[in-house]
Amino acid sequence: MTSLTEGSAPELVDVEERSRRRRLAFEKWGKWVLPVLVIGLGILAWHLVVTLNGIPHYILPGPVLVFETLVKDWALLLDALLITLQITLMALAIAVIGGVGLAVLFTQSRLVEMSFYPYAVILQVTPIVSIAPLIFIYVDNKMAGLLICAWIVAFFPVLSNTTLGLNSADHNLRDLFRIYGATRWQRLRYLQLPSALPYFLGGLRIAGGLALIGSVVAEYVAGTGGVGSGLAFTILEASYRLNIPRMFAALLLIAATGVVIYAGLSFLSYMLLHKWHESAIRREV
Amino acid sequence: MTAQGITLAGRERRVAAPGLTLEGRGVLEERALFGPLTLALPAGRWTCLLGPSGAGKSTLLRLIAGLSTAVRLEGTVRAEDSAPLAGRIAYMAQTDLLCPWLDVLGNVTLGARLRGERPDSARARALVDAVGLAGREAARPAALSGGQRQRVALARTLMEDCPVVLLDEPFSALDARTRAEMQALAARLLAGRTVLLVTHEPGEAVRLADRLLLVERGGLSDMPLPDAPPPRAPDDAGTLAAQGRLFRALLGEGAPA
Repeated sequence: MTSLTEGSAPELVDVEERSRRRRLAFEKWGKWVLPVLVIGLGILAWHLVVTLNGIPHYILPGPVLVFETLVKDWALLLDALLITLQITLMALAIAVIGGVGLAVLFTQSRLVEMSFYPYAVILQVTPIVSIAPLIFIYVDNKMAGLLICAWIVAFFPVLSNTTLGLNSADHNLRDLFRIYGATRWQRLRYLQLPSALPYFLGGLRIAGGLALIGSVVAEYVAGTGGVGSGLAFTILEASYRLNIPRMFAALLLIAATGVVIYAGLSFLSYMLLHKWHESAIRREV
Repeated sequence: MTAQGITLAGRERRVAAPGLTLEGRGVLEERALFGPLTLALPAGRWTCLLGPSGAGKSTLLRLIAGLSTAVRLEGTVRAEDSAPLAGRIAYMAQTDLLCPWLDVLGNVTLGARLRGERPDSARARALVDAVGLAGREAARPAALSGGQRQRVALARTLMEDCPVVLLDEPFSALDARTRAEMQALAARLLAGRTVLLVTHEPGEAVRLADRLLLVERGGLSDMPLPDAPPPRAPDDAGTLAAQGRLFRALLGEGAPA
């Protein structure tokens, strides 16, 4: 029975097969090399534009100067980065707990869902910059205020995706669980939560980026720096001093942080799903 | 098929399979849909419900299983031994109903885990072996073919070791050869249980049934079967003749085929 599907395929070497393999090999390295190449060319173009036109560094610094600033101000930038990272990750963690918790609550009780879902939507559609000033009036602790802002932005995709996932468990499987006499809790634990996992992870990837955006935006609104200020305040402060290279360096760090968070969450998603979920299974085309 | 000749008798907790009776009428939105009728499943035998799609076969099965349907049963479903049916029914459907996140063994032992028991993994392995999937215990459903997945579903159904087994067109999505193999396998491994098989395929019904009922316009009629005991050879003259009669009955009595 298994030999049909698993037997080693004979070496096919017709033209079509060879071109297909070449395409696969190209895609394999192209996926990494091409974006690096494009970024490299972009940086080169940036460098050329700055040097050939003699643009002064207080208007547009070249990539070399930005990199030098990154190294020179590293201690300062690292402190700021760690603060931003801390707020982002904490907000993401609370978003996960809050989002998944609310989603579970919503699927357990239609009444709760009907009552509270509108609030979740209202929080989501109101721009965070317009809520943040109020939050900083009522919340004394600046850290807590930043966290609340980042959480408001980040939790909705987790909530809506997880709710969708919990509700999309196969109804035939629900029948099977009923016949097996599964309790409500078992249905949640063994059927709905695993079914929701791919949806949750999709929401988490969006939430990761949003948590970073939320924490940066909130810091702009919070304004005054002092101890424990993150990358957003570093940019703000550098702009007051017309320290354009430092603005670029901090911006670079924020972008890099976003990419790393996205990559990390994508990797997590792959590790959890690649064995069974349609979205992550590698298939031969 | 590595399973030929393997018996699982030594490992099985044999439970006396009770007969089963559904009595009453089905009501859909205050209109009578079927009945009043009596559907009796003889103890330890295969009963087949044959009928065109939409005839209400699956509804009858779901009523016996205690699953929600749009149809309300005004009547009773009871076992001969008058013990409650809950927990004594295994169910297999047209789709394999495997959890894609569990591997083969995890799926086979799902019922035990839901009951909070420690799964008997030796028995699970023996059953996976019996359905011809030895060596694939750690594979996820996504890595298996449709036929293999349905084998896992059969192993899970057997793992439950329930005296009553409800089969809702379990082989209809399989290719002809795999279907014939699975029918033989199921007939062998489910022998001695009270089985209700719902199908729209006359060939399958004739092959497997101890008792064959035609479902039509909400009524049931007994159909004659060949004398040979099931599973009957698909190419046997008696099987083919009975199959022909069934086709005619399905098309409407006396109508030219």
